[in-house]
Amino acid sequence: MSDKTLPLSYSNNLIFELEKAFYDERGKGARFRVTTVGQRYFRERCLPKLASSEISDILGTVGSLLKADGIAAEVSWVNEERLLRVRVEGCVHRPVEEAMLAHGVEPFTCIPANLMVLAIEEKLDRPVELAEIKLEEGGCALLLVVFDQRPTLG
Amino acid sequence: MSEMFTLADAALKVIQDRRSIREYTDEPVSEQDLDRILEAARQAPSGENAQPWRYVIVKDAETRKKLGAIAGGGSGRRFTAEFVTKKMQERFTGLQDETKKRAAFEKLTSGQVSTFLAGAPVNILVCGKKDVWDLPYDTSAAIENILLMVTALGLGACWVIAPCIDIRDEERIKTLLGLPEEFKAVSIIAIGHPTRPHRPRPRLPIHELVFRETWGEAYYKEPA
Repeated sequence: MSDKTLPLSYSNNLIFELEKAFYDERGKGARFRVTTVGQRYFRERCLPKLASSEISDILGTVGSLLKADGIAAEVSWVNEERLLRVRVEGCVHRPVEEAMLAHGVEPFTCIPANLMVLAIEEKLDRPVELAEIKLEEGGCALLLVVFDQRPTLG
Repeated sequence: MSEMFTLADAALKVIQDRRSIREYTDEPVSEQDLDRILEAARQAPSGENAQPWRYVIVKDAETRKKLGAIAGGGSGRRFTAEFVTKKMQERFTGLQDETKKRAAFEKLTSGQVSTFLAGAPVNILVCGKKDVWDLPYDTSAAIENILLMVTALGLGACWVIAPCIDIRDEERIKTLLGLPEEFKAVSIIAIGHPTRPHRPRPRLPIHELVFRETWGEAYYKEPA
């Protein structure tokens, strides 16, 4: 097997085509079936580095890792009570979201967002929902809702 | 005195009488009724006659409570996301009564809209074998058969997708009820005796739904 590095556009085109095919099959419900995409990377790369149980530390750790691994150039966030507004700049997957929009489909999944959700759920056992992905000039604006507690299972 | 119907009229009446029932009395569902409901499910059509459905009957109150919590949690997350992005408010622009609107928002965003599984005497988890081509369609046909038989028996049911729609919640359901990896948790059907009659929900008029030969030209004329 060749060890030649694949062009990023090749990978992103495949991701787009897979996402689009899935959306065409599952419609708006597709978003709920991809909420854990990225979990292998999360388990192998993020989780071992998550030492703190403070949300700001968790997000900082995930953001640093995304930057160190060349997935995003900059990650910042603002807390507004239960709302978490995250901005991701220079994301390698941005062309996927742009292609989705160009085909009339609202972007419905985001790997950096999934990693943050997985990290908060793992460390704090608090449910998190990705509410919105907005493509803005120079970056993506993510809106996440962080709930206080998981509904009791008795 | 029982009414007399032709078979076609009886079938249509059962279809038209079906409601999504979310409030139940404490009266249990009899085994005889459950047998007929499951036989209706067993007779559903499936691609290649694969019959990929399996059912887990849950009557245990503690387990139903857990299923209700998972369903409510999932609904609460999704509806809250819809609310904070203002999409829910857009969806409810037709509702003028502000008190009713607030109550609807509260019921949806809190997840209460789906916790009723705990109050239904029977929860049927519908599972689908992944190694078939038509899993979602096959299991949906079985579920409709269940709902129609429930109606014909004078019981009430609600098809609840909330605990299975997000892969995170589906995993919790699978763990809770011990599903093997090769099966998917599709939906839960809550069944019981309705506490009260329910009015029908509005349906789109037939002339908006059906086209002649190709997409576009209405098959039925719009009523004057």
